[in-house]
Amino acid sequence: MFAYIMRRLAVAVPTLLLLIVISFVLMHLAPGGPFSQERELPARVLANLNAKYGLDEPLWRQIVNYVYSIVIHFDFGPSFVYPDRTVNELLADGFPVTLTYGSLAFLAAVLVGVGLGVVAAIRHNSWLDYLAVGISIGAQVLPNFVMAPILVLFFTLTWRILPGGGWSFSDPSFWIMPVIALATSYMASIARITRSSMLEVLGSNHIRTARAKGMPEHRVILRHALKPAMLPVISYLGPVFVSMITGSVVIDIYFSTGGIGKAFVESALNRDYAVMMGVTILIGALTILFNLVVDILYAWIDPKIRY
Amino acid sequence: MVIEQEKMQRLATRMVEEEVKGRSPWADARKRFLRNKAAMAGLVILILVALFALFGDMLAVWSNEELDFSVMGQVATMGAPSLENGHYFGTDDLGRDLFSRTVQGTQISLMVGIVGAGIAVIVGTLYGATAGYVGGRTDQFMMRAVDILMSVPYMFVLILLLVMFGRSIAMLFLGIGLISWLEMSRIVRGQTLSLKNREFIEAARATGVSTWKIIIRHIVPNLLGVVAVYATLLVPLMILTESFISFLGLGVQEPLTSWGALISEGAGTMNYGTLWQLAFPLFFFVITLFGFFFVGDGLRDALDPKDR
Repeated sequence: MFAYIMRRLAVAVPTLLLLIVISFVLMHLAPGGPFSQERELPARVLANLNAKYGLDEPLWRQIVNYVYSIVIHFDFGPSFVYPDRTVNELLADGFPVTLTYGSLAFLAAVLVGVGLGVVAAIRHNSWLDYLAVGISIGAQVLPNFVMAPILVLFFTLTWRILPGGGWSFSDPSFWIMPVIALATSYMASIARITRSSMLEVLGSNHIRTARAKGMPEHRVILRHALKPAMLPVISYLGPVFVSMITGSVVIDIYFSTGGIGKAFVESALNRDYAVMMGVTILIGALTILFNLVVDILYAWIDPKIRY
Repeated sequence: MVIEQEKMQRLATRMVEEEVKGRSPWADARKRFLRNKAAMAGLVILILVALFALFGDMLAVWSNEELDFSVMGQVATMGAPSLENGHYFGTDDLGRDLFSRTVQGTQISLMVGIVGAGIAVIVGTLYGATAGYVGGRTDQFMMRAVDILMSVPYMFVLILLLVMFGRSIAMLFLGIGLISWLEMSRIVRGQTLSLKNREFIEAARATGVSTWKIIIRHIVPNLLGVVAVYATLLVPLMILTESFISFLGLGVQEPLTSWGALISEGAGTMNYGTLWQLAFPLFFFVITLFGFFFVGDGLRDALDPKDR
């Protein structure tokens, strides 16, 4: 197991470095530097700016410095647009918010999705099954940026029971719509995957044996069916995590929740490359870490995997 | 024994012909597909949406850039959908005709979806087939590269690309094309691995056909089923990606528009009572995605009847 984790880490670290280097090189390939504006800056000013941000050094030197400060000091450098702010501050502002509603949405999607899928599989071809299948087909076409306005239309504009935007750590009513909007489509996919894998497992020999022994049905489901049925779901969690982080950008913009998505889109509109790269790298690191956890979890649950 | 020679002959020829004609797996698949109601409904929807995108402009009274000054400023009361003033879908908050904007958005979204899926088909198939067929070190290297690229948060990188190199349709195509082929190449590689030890490939190799030619002439045609199914399911994903970016205002730029941009506009103005601005683009978006998902699922069921 330990060797397996080490081997996965040995892939993860170069991946992250590659991501940093690629985004850095992209920034340099881009036409116009970070300081090119509509009004041309005087050459002296530009040279001073470049010197201040270390952009006058050779490219390899800059990359080494950038990677060094991230890896050793976890420092993403200064923002190119707001002279008094660092990328770290901008990230630290938004991260707790994103983490809060993101993890809630993740939990909601997994718990509701798995629950719905399991119930649908146990009551195969009943109205519950059809309802679950219907919901999961319908929710395929309801990604976060479609759910968000629909939710606001009903809960805020029509029924006036939930605030239409903003964020407060103390008042959960601000959390409800971001979580639902973010979770719905993944909840549906998880339900569909759970249902089909549960159906397959329920038809397998070891379940028949368990039933033939006279084991109570709830024990058959919980002890013998659920664990193998979870394998496809677990391997789907990695993509869900990535898409949810991506989706949080829409949530931050539409609900003005102020997570890191806001920093990202604002920096994209301002061409603040430092912040964009900071967000991209942070999210890349999280993604790689999460995939690592998922792989280890998978290897731990599935006895067929030899690592 | 009196056997009518002539009739016997006819029967024989018919039997031979029948055998020659046979029922190919493709004919079987077509039959199953035509019997699948959801898939047929999806196909009809897609044809209608495509007709709307192609010929909708002819029905439009207003162009997508014209401002209707008679409704400007009072869109909530005057800009509602109406047949009389030619705004079948109403107008947006600037007084532009939503019908022709929706036609244009449909054109762009469909184009992005189809081009994205097309790139995925070409690049992904060739890449995956090459990796799978050549095997060994090359395969390991190629697939490891795909693994690494897949663990990159692509939406962020795509936006990074769009911002740095200017937001244009061409850049959008390039960016979406860059990511769309990854999953396809994995699926194709898996399929190629199971194909490459079959007799007909062995025969081709034994007769001295070059590797490249085997891949193009013998491997790729046998992948068509999987590729077709996956491509159909990929189109809506590409449309989703583009709409996502355009919803954030980072995708297609005015005066061009797409479903994502229109939905974003509609969502921004719905509290002024102009719900049609959200409803019409959303309607087309939703039915098209449904159409593609149904057709894709139908194709998969038709080509792989075991997997029901």
